Amino acid sequence: MRKQMRGFVCKLFLLVVFVIGIFCSVGPTVLAQVKEIRIADSKGDWGYPNPYRHYPRGPGYIRMSWVFDTLVWKDDKGYIPALARKWTYDPKSLSFTFELQKGVKWHDGRPFSSADVVFTINYFKKHPYLWVPMDDVAGAEAMGKDKVVIKLTKPYAPFLAYIGGVMPILPKHIWENVTDPRKYNDPRAFIGCGPYKFIDFNKAKGTYLYEAFTDYYQGRPRADRLIYIKAGKPLMILSTGKVDLANIKPDMAKPLKKKGLVILVNARGWNKKLMINHKKPPFNDKRFRKALAHAINQQEIIDKAHRGFGSPASFGLLSPDHEFYSTNTPTYVPDPAKARRILESIGYAGGTDGFYTKDGQPLKIEILASNITVAGESVADRDGEVIKRQLEAVGIHVDLVNMEQATTDGRVIKWDFDLAISGHGGLLGDARILNRMIMPKVTGSVNSARFGANKELLKLLKAQIAEMDITRRKNIVCKIQEIYADELPAISLYYPASMAAYNPKKGIKWYYTVGGISLGIPIAQNKMSLVK
Amino acid sequence: MQINMVPHPKRSTPGRLGTIITFSLAALAMIYLSYSLPRLLPGDFVTAMYSSSHVTLTAEQEAELRAYYTEEPGFGRYLFKLVRLDWGYSYAFLTPVSELFFGALPWTLLLLGTANVLSMFIGFVTGVEAAWRRDSRLEKGMVGGMTVLEGIPEISTGIILLVVFALKLQWFPAAGAETAYAEVSLLARLATISHHLALPLTTLILSYFPGNFLMTRNSMIMVIKAPFITTAKAKGLPPGRIRYAHAARNALLPLVTRFGLRFAFMITGALVVERIYSYPGLGTLLFNAIQARDLPVVQAVVLISSLIVLAIILGLEFIYRMIDPRIEHAH
Repeated sequence: MRKQMRGFVCKLFLLVVFVIGIFCSVGPTVLAQVKEIRIADSKGDWGYPNPYRHYPRGPGYIRMSWVFDTLVWKDDKGYIPALARKWTYDPKSLSFTFELQKGVKWHDGRPFSSADVVFTINYFKKHPYLWVPMDDVAGAEAMGKDKVVIKLTKPYAPFLAYIGGVMPILPKHIWENVTDPRKYNDPRAFIGCGPYKFIDFNKAKGTYLYEAFTDYYQGRPRADRLIYIKAGKPLMILSTGKVDLANIKPDMAKPLKKKGLVILVNARGWNKKLMINHKKPPFNDKRFRKALAHAINQQEIIDKAHRGFGSPASFGLLSPDHEFYSTNTPTYVPDPAKARRILESIGYAGGTDGFYTKDGQPLKIEILASNITVAGESVADRDGEVIKRQLEAVGIHVDLVNMEQATTDGRVIKWDFDLAISGHGGLLGDARILNRMIMPKVTGSVNSARFGANKELLKLLKAQIAEMDITRRKNIVCKIQEIYADELPAISLYYPASMAAYNPKKGIKWYYTVGGISLGIPIAQNKMSLVK
Repeated sequence: MQINMVPHPKRSTPGRLGTIITFSLAALAMIYLSYSLPRLLPGDFVTAMYSSSHVTLTAEQEAELRAYYTEEPGFGRYLFKLVRLDWGYSYAFLTPVSELFFGALPWTLLLLGTANVLSMFIGFVTGVEAAWRRDSRLEKGMVGGMTVLEGIPEISTGIILLVVFALKLQWFPAAGAETAYAEVSLLARLATISHHLALPLTTLILSYFPGNFLMTRNSMIMVIKAPFITTAKAKGLPPGRIRYAHAARNALLPLVTRFGLRFAFMITGALVVERIYSYPGLGTLLFNAIQARDLPVVQAVVLISSLIVLAIILGLEFIYRMIDPRIEHAH
């Protein structure tokens, strides 16, 4: 009996050793669960994380994206399945068919189905979610529980970029009775089927708390808790280990790298740009705008205002890193002498004080400075000073005006300005950004040139949206860039170096998304980092 | 020679009532200003929120948003709502303004209240002691040191403390009021709040305390020359009692004024420090609301801060009379 017992204990011991051995051998491939991840930014408050209540900027959308999933998503390689596991496009019926994931649950435990997708499209048509333009969507139809067909009114090339990959799917059982979604202030307004459940937003502190949704259809998220905090000193909070991820300024990269943090450098997807009031003289004359382009030295702005961290921008708006970038885009080398010649050719004459005059009037313009920069952060303006000096060097008298941002924006929107410094991202995302930043019907953006003087340009902009063939679309987009750079309704100045740093000790790999998250948000906080 | 002692007439109740009526009229004027001034800010909520956003608006969308977010209640209705303690809804959060205000208020009270009380106490005691030791090396050194400290703005002190104690030594946290969502006991939470409070509080104390010191010392020097102090000394009273019960009480008046006014400006007073340390308070709330043109929030914070100023000035009127009864009879 004792022998039998001893034998049993030995076998049990061997079995335990064997099992431990197996676990140890697979250990390195099993991703460890992390207790919490902390992310910081300087503003903190980006609104409540649901489609109708987050602020209409990148960090607001990202805070919502943890809670609500879309049909498709993007990671560091491109489009990947999300709520839809497969999708096809039928040009004859102008419809996208999405086959949905099975076994998806909402955060309240109710099952997700195609009815929710159909409901979301109808709901957004009735109560617009401004991130998702529904003008070209005719409607949606559920084909059983796990399939949905979305019909278009006409071919719409940016469908995935602007609808499939951006539209958060809402739970029908919650929203169907909500008549004013902006005022819907119930905890159920934050029930999604994304990887994280929204727990708290503290408005005074600018902090957010999310908890992992353990029933998430792509597997349990890697961190049990996700916390956003407000902190304006990324160097300090990263180096002292208070947060795991934050956007940083380029000159912080070296010391943080020394401390063992991983530095991420984004592609050139955000540009600082000079808005031009092309509706009034002398800016309505293309030749004058070209003189401005020759007077401005992009590299000098980068060197003097940003210690060399950045690169000159393409005059055709799309980033040189974009797959549709045109290598034939006209460029304007810095050439003060040429700028002067152009000004003289359109009737300006040198005055006694070194500045040009025309019809007895001095050539005097005003530049509105701006403090905005990448990822919703703000930075003291130095660009204005450099540009002022450059324009004065070619005989244009400049008044540089630095006002509080909302005041500046108000003047630009009302066309009450000469030149204004501004900036925006999305230059690596879908080429529809060109329509948003050029078309004259856009009203509420300080970044849109709102330029309708060139009919061919407008025609091409409309055509590129409807062109479903990628090669033909690329040709149209290239032509748009060439015309835009020739017309210069606005002048792209430079792409600031955009960086983030993260702590690799937790085993989470953060990255910048190809083309930016959603509409092109240049922030390294892709939810897939905590999912796969 | 016979001196006719004419008793001072005690200030009548109608006099106090008059003071209260005057303050009420001033409060009404302030309510009107807090209603009308924020509306003069250029730009509006839709411009501030959407102008450089990731979405581009069509004219119809912009008009719809503007109609949704523009509230023109008229002063009468605004006043009526105020009386009912209805401060309106924040445009940005679509939540009651009172919820935002009272969410930020405890942090401001904790930081500013503690800084004011501590700097007043330390400034008062050191000022009294320095004046008592006039012309000593210690007094001269303290006056010199405090004059220098008084000239250093909060922004410099804040950044120096941040770099030394948060970045280099890593003794204190660099941002926030507590470790967000830390799963700890109440005691541990209080410890983390104190830990986060240390640097902003020290910055404010270093900023407020030298002024309090210099003011107390100067007042005290005037008072200790007075004959009643000589009398007190001649009576053989203990030095501590002479200093504090006889002299310092009379030197307290300007310090009370300073304390009151500092407290009155608590909403905007700590804005710089709140920004440096990302501390959640009313200053930050007001700053963000102005940036976003969140008018209901701006109006509420401006109004409450104005009314606090008024209330504190009114309170000081009565406190002066308690500290120095001569004021009661002054004409």
